[in-house]
Amino acid sequence: MVVVLTVICSASGFVLSFVNTATESAREYQLLKYVKGPSIDAVLPEHDNDPIKEAVVMAMGQDDKGRPIEKKIFPAKKGGSLVGLAYDSGAEGYHGVISLMVGLNPEGKLTGVSVMTHTETPGLGARITESSFTEQFEGLSGEIGVGADVQGVSGATISSKAVVKAVNEAIELFPQAMKEVS
Amino acid sequence: MSVMQEFTKGLWKEVPPFRLVLGLCPVLAVTTAASNGLGMGLATTFVLVCSNTIISLLRSIIPGKVRIAAFIVVIASFVVIVELTMQAYFYPLYKILGIFIPLIVVNCIILGRAEAFASKNSLIPSVADGLGMGLGFTISLTFLGGVRELLGAGTVFGYALMGSSFQPFEVMVKPPGAFLCLGLILGLMNFISAKK
Repeated sequence: MVVVLTVICSASGFVLSFVNTATESAREYQLLKYVKGPSIDAVLPEHDNDPIKEAVVMAMGQDDKGRPIEKKIFPAKKGGSLVGLAYDSGAEGYHGVISLMVGLNPEGKLTGVSVMTHTETPGLGARITESSFTEQFEGLSGEIGVGADVQGVSGATISSKAVVKAVNEAIELFPQAMKEVS
Repeated sequence: MSVMQEFTKGLWKEVPPFRLVLGLCPVLAVTTAASNGLGMGLATTFVLVCSNTIISLLRSIIPGKVRIAAFIVVIASFVVIVELTMQAYFYPLYKILGIFIPLIVVNCIILGRAEAFASKNSLIPSVADGLGMGLGFTISLTFLGGVRELLGAGTVFGYALMGSSFQPFEVMVKPPGAFLCLGLILGLMNFISAKK
């Protein structure tokens, strides 16, 4: 009785670990495609490759527990030459973290910013997802300031500043990301 | 009974949701559209055929006292395989069916067929039984989903069939609609059978 159950359970474990390994990369790809994919496509200029398939992992040092921090860079190519990069960025907003997908062209100019997840106040901070706010970033480069380069959402200064901070961080990372991709 | 009869009994005479009235949880929950019903039905069929095969092969070595535990391990393994595969290749469907994929483990049709049929019969009839029951389940779910989608949204498999003047009965894609449809189809099937 014990032997039969043990054999059945170990056979099941063996088969499942095999299936798990076999589908791992496909599952990761699907997750990226359906969760981040729409944002990646929105912020990148026109391209004919699959940025998710060609993603490059960039090492970002270690966290305080010694685990490596990594960032995925999604390159956009047209006719084989690089036309843009996309990667995520985030900052603390009014309520929790705002996470963004930021797209840049090879000269380091922003091609688009898209808010992936946020928990800002509906009607106020949540308006950072509107295109009238995010479109202002297109074409900008260098250090961006609220009020100077980008008009914040009225009544939502903290949320607007958080987005700008996250975008600035992304721009700062650009030289390193560019080196990883090329 | 011949192999053919084992197969066809699942399609009408013992069709699981309407005749045996088994496995109603996914029947009611996921049939908001024809494609969801089809996906759920095929996933269940795969698990049913595979578990019937394995259990029928192992029926002489599984001790009677722990048979339920052994059956559940076999069924759960196939359910995890389905879940991982769906996640890897059919992500949108995986998102829609959600918790109901892992819950195939506790679908009483599967354990029911394992206990009542596969553990007492040889390989070929068990596979035929699993296929027939699975297809019957798939057709029932797709049909129920199709009816609810048609009345609730005016489409079947996403294709608009009712014309622009059709006002959808939104209740049909909500839980009460599932009970209404199921009850009407059950009644209709009894009516047809009684006439025969």
